[in-house]
Amino acid sequence: MRLTKILAMAWESMSQRKLRTFLTTLSVVVGITAIIGLASLGEGFRLEVRERMQTGFELDNLTVIPGSFFAGLSRERFMDEDVEKISEISGVKVATQVMQIGNVTLSNGNRTVRAFVATAVNFTEFVQVFPDRFDFEDGKLPEEGRNDTIVIGYKVNYPKENETTPFAVADDNITLTLRMVEKEPFPHSELQNYTYVVAGTLQKRGTPGITNFDYWVFIPLEKAREIYDTQESDLIFVKVFDLEESETIAEEIEDLFPPFKITILVPLTFIRQVDNILTIVQLFLMAIASISLLVAGIGIMNIMTVSVMERIREIGILKAIGAKSRTILTMFLTEAMLIGVMGGLIGVFMGYGLSYVLAYGLSGLVQPDQQGTGFQSPETQRMTISPVFSMEWTIVAFAFAVIVCIIFGLYPARKAAKLDPVEALRYE
Amino acid sequence: MVTIVEVRELEKNYRMGKILVPALRGVSFDVEEGELLTIFGPSGSGKSTLLHLMGCLDRPDGGEILVDDSDVFKLGDDELAEIRLTKMGFVFQFFNLLPRLTALRNVELPLTIAGVSEKESLKRAEELLELVGLEDRMGHRPSELSGGEQQRVAMARALINDPEIVLADEPTGNLDTKTGWEIVQLVKKLNREKRQTFVVVTHDEHIAEAADRTIHLKDGLIDRVKEAVGRKQ
Repeated sequence: MRLTKILAMAWESMSQRKLRTFLTTLSVVVGITAIIGLASLGEGFRLEVRERMQTGFELDNLTVIPGSFFAGLSRERFMDEDVEKISEISGVKVATQVMQIGNVTLSNGNRTVRAFVATAVNFTEFVQVFPDRFDFEDGKLPEEGRNDTIVIGYKVNYPKENETTPFAVADDNITLTLRMVEKEPFPHSELQNYTYVVAGTLQKRGTPGITNFDYWVFIPLEKAREIYDTQESDLIFVKVFDLEESETIAEEIEDLFPPFKITILVPLTFIRQVDNILTIVQLFLMAIASISLLVAGIGIMNIMTVSVMERIREIGILKAIGAKSRTILTMFLTEAMLIGVMGGLIGVFMGYGLSYVLAYGLSGLVQPDQQGTGFQSPETQRMTISPVFSMEWTIVAFAFAVIVCIIFGLYPARKAAKLDPVEALRYE
Repeated sequence: MVTIVEVRELEKNYRMGKILVPALRGVSFDVEEGELLTIFGPSGSGKSTLLHLMGCLDRPDGGEILVDDSDVFKLGDDELAEIRLTKMGFVFQFFNLLPRLTALRNVELPLTIAGVSEKESLKRAEELLELVGLEDRMGHRPSELSGGEQQRVAMARALINDPEIVLADEPTGNLDTKTGWEIVQLVKKLNREKRQTFVVVTHDEHIAEAADRTIHLKDGLIDRVKEAVGRKQ
């Protein structure tokens, strides 16, 4: 029997049982809609999170911290030679060490403001590591060789929300109060004042990453070393040429130090892990959605078994006039396949439709808090999830629908094909 | 005369629970080309069983049926289906038309199964519906046709593959006397004009009277064979 004829007969038989065909197809539509909807929405969400993380982290930057999270963070600090060794690794563009001095206050005679961290940096190197972060509202980077200049972060300069008058502008003289730990005559801390000239003030930047310059002030490293009388530093920032190499370079840096002496924050690894987690969540959601398609498959098996029972006599007639068992099998499988094809096609379209509706709704719901903490950007943008159309998923989901329908249609179709013609003709 | 089917020592039993009920107990006869053979007998004599076996719809417990000198029951199910499709035509007591198809589509169905092009099969189906006098009922579904008309459609369907033999199981059994008589006339006409071989299982005296030969079955055995007067040997 010609395939086109089998198709035509299957279609004819289905169109005579419109409601049944509609409901069976609907169950497939629901399954595929759920799979495609969740897949495209999930991918959109994953890409949005990834993009946000990429803008938050400088992916080609590594942060080297003394000590290990596993073995307890160390009080040890880095020396100049550590930085030199790191700089020599191939693929490293620049390595720069910083000293971090916590809880400092700045005063201009009229007003006092606090900074989260005063970071002592080698400006020339530091700007190479964070080239995009130094957008000045006023002033510019300190001139090389000047030891008495300071760069002020936005939230230090404007500590209150919606403030319009800055604490300082370029060329202002300010007093920086640092807490000094003295061991003699007994361990205690003392406050010391130092006068700095404001080289520049930074624009509002914000970042979802781990360093938010809005809350920092920057002073020259040499001066800090002089004040604290030390050659040690707290952190090393490393910029690599190729971000894909960042993990290999991190391993090489790790090899330079004894085990558990340092921790390296590799944004790429972090992003990959988050990406993996999101992929797993996405697959998990799709797996749940797939269950609905399996339920649809069981529905198809049920309906088709009923259909075979109803059409026993018809099958008997067809066999009596010469239809082979495999022709009967193909006829019933074709009906199952047609349900899969229709359900799959409609489901794919509805799935993408659903993902756009959900994306619109969810984008409104996922409105980030406007808190101004050191780790959360006060300027976090509204989350906009754009569903992603994937040809691969479309094909896979469509094929899944057809295959599920054929598999679940196999039992009733075989039942029909195996019918004894004499018994079938006698069936009332 | 050419023998087209040879039935040899055919046996068939049915199991009713633990009891084995013999339906046929060694039946032998030949079917000659172009003859109208009726199989006559009371209910339970094994008529329909014999017809089903001759039509390759069932398999016997013993004996053989030779078509073209080979035992059909040595063939697989698909090959039996092929024999049904190419060499046999069936007419049933309850017409057995597909209710969702029109008369025309019902008639062309065997050709559709055989993979003949739609154009050709429709042309042939139209010719046959004209032959059985239903040229103006082609587009009607079985539910829109009378019993006699449905049986004519079934007759046309049985003939569409140019079968060597048409097997009819009580073709008038579900029709009133007048309509039954019309069907008998149609069978006679096709037999005489087209030299179509018929094997008809019947209770109907009219068909038996028109037959070249009548095999009387009783309790699964041939009781007697009655040949029409003047039948050519």
